[in-house]
Amino acid sequence: MQHTDHYADLETEISRWMAAGGGGFEDRLLDVHRFQRAHNPAYRDFCSGLPEPTCWQGIPAVPVSAFKTAGLRSFPEEQTIRTFETSGTTGGSPGRHHFCSLSLYLHAATRGWIRAGLPAENVVAIIPHAAGAPYSSLSQMASWLVPQDRFFFSRRGELLAFLETAGKTVIFGTALAFLDFFEWMNGRRVVLPAGSLAVETGGYKGTRREMPKSELYHLFQERLGLPPDSVWNEYGMTELISQFYTNGLGRPHRAPPWARGLVVSPSTGIEVGEGEAGILKIFDAANLGSVCAIQTRDLAIRRGRDFELIGRDPAAIPRGCSLAADELLS
Amino acid sequence: MNTADRAESLARAAAHFPELSPPTARDMIESVRLELGHEEILDGFQMYGGHLSMAVAPRTILHILSGNTPHAAFQTMLRGLLLGSHNLVKFPSGGLGKMEGFPGLLPAGLSSRLECSRQLGEDWPRRAEAWVVFGSDVTVAEFRAKCPPQIPFQAHGHRVSVGVVSDDPGLESCALAARDVSLFEQQGCLSPQVIFVGGDAFRYAEALAREMERFAAASPAPPLPLAVEAEIAHARADWDFRASGDRGVRVWKGTGWTVVFEKSEEFPDSPLHRFVFVKPLSENLPSCLARFANHLGGLGVWPGTPANAMRFAGAGFSRICLIGRMQDTPFTWHSDSRQNLASLVRWVDFEP
Repeated sequence: MQHTDHYADLETEISRWMAAGGGGFEDRLLDVHRFQRAHNPAYRDFCSGLPEPTCWQGIPAVPVSAFKTAGLRSFPEEQTIRTFETSGTTGGSPGRHHFCSLSLYLHAATRGWIRAGLPAENVVAIIPHAAGAPYSSLSQMASWLVPQDRFFFSRRGELLAFLETAGKTVIFGTALAFLDFFEWMNGRRVVLPAGSLAVETGGYKGTRREMPKSELYHLFQERLGLPPDSVWNEYGMTELISQFYTNGLGRPHRAPPWARGLVVSPSTGIEVGEGEAGILKIFDAANLGSVCAIQTRDLAIRRGRDFELIGRDPAAIPRGCSLAADELLS
Repeated sequence: MNTADRAESLARAAAHFPELSPPTARDMIESVRLELGHEEILDGFQMYGGHLSMAVAPRTILHILSGNTPHAAFQTMLRGLLLGSHNLVKFPSGGLGKMEGFPGLLPAGLSSRLECSRQLGEDWPRRAEAWVVFGSDVTVAEFRAKCPPQIPFQAHGHRVSVGVVSDDPGLESCALAARDVSLFEQQGCLSPQVIFVGGDAFRYAEALAREMERFAAASPAPPLPLAVEAEIAHARADWDFRASGDRGVRVWKGTGWTVVFEKSEEFPDSPLHRFVFVKPLSENLPSCLARFANHLGGLGVWPGTPANAMRFAGAGFSRICLIGRMQDTPFTWHSDSRQNLASLVRWVDFEP
């Protein structure tokens, strides 16, 4: 069988499997892993010498930095139709996620949104539309969820006017975009109708601004009349296809049936106990075109099958007069 | 208590810290002579050219210490007491372990000249006639902004240190390099982050890894906070991935240590904590280091020949020493390229 046929067949199978609810996660993920090990040269090199995994937790996870240093494709390079790039804070090359098809991304983004319990109607965005941000995976995702005339990026006045007369609405944007909007409101307030929601994501990348989540969520209440439970957080990344959602404060992120988080000890690589903290790995069966197992740079607490993000906590890293070069140059 | 008496008492207390290269009384007196011109110049007027001069220590010195290694705390307290000043010492909020017991080792005449706390005393900045600040560039800048302009301000900020092994076919320096890297968990300003090696750098890296393991077996790395462990795990994962696709990269690791061999001329990012890079030594080394020109600390060399030292004397390092001695500073060293006693005193001239 030609590689192209194999990829397309597997993509179709995964698509159907996702639509059917994603049962049998382990078998499906191991299928995807075997395919990627066979067809993704950089990943094959990485797995070289490692035993074939017998459980999904044993699939070798690449660090997210691998998307900066290698072309991680499980399809021939010339079949690339789209590449999304990461935005970062430390300069250097961006991470690049290549696609030969956006089909699984479309399924994961739209089905994941619905499965999380988010309404598919009346969604507006305060991020750029994909047409103006072709390298942003977030913009691509939003473009599937939001009609083109409901993108209000950099149009704060129009967004405010829209919200003042809108019915039940879901606002989707980065935490930074919301923060900018709230500051621009300069004390003005809109009370959105009951049932309205906000979905924030992405943190404050590329800036030196930081705000504790509790303070940001207080602003949602103060400026938009949204209580914390009506504010959702989407955890996703350019290197992944699937998203993880939570709402309110102090609750874990939930995975869709076709993806899992795994919190591991940084020193042993073994899954931590319930309630313990470690490095978050993501296993995403929809990530067919690159690698289905990724070691993120985030720390999380294991909460059953879910995880509670605790960020990267750089403040906890003591630095004396011996300075890591990256910090010196940042 | 005159300078010689203070030096004697300090030397006795300092001897309780053999791991910090404690100075003898003679070393301390010698530092006074070298920096101030006469052993007794803090005690009275001495001939100085055609007249008499006396060095007057600040009545009170404020020391702000960082939490990376006890070395800085040790030396700055010794210097302040040697000068005869009263010393206000702000320990890091996380403490400084055994070093916090130092005042208790001193005779009453000296221990009464040390006020130590993990909290900055409210009136300490106002009382101090000189400030010595260790910490990040941000910390230093914050204190500098608060320091009155007429007050001497001695800053010890971030530093990057490296080793250069020009010629060591017998790999004699590997065990010594492992010690330099591992002591103080690479947190000191003199801890090497990269060893540049002439000749077979890969073979050197392999041998260094064996010595890192040996050192760790004898002196295991202490437990680390989760965020630090995670940084190390990320760095290992990054380099493992790079090694899988690049024959020019190789990673060796054990419990609490990591050695990465890498050929590029870029200066790599280390998460520290016994995480060291070995790279081939090239003619481009000065340009590789130029990015850190204002932050270079110590350079360990092998062999320790004058020619080797001269080769790098202009690169921006404040200290060049033999590999294996990077953590063992003499009391007379010019920490951060300055005279540390001389920069704190003021002078009184007497022309009879």
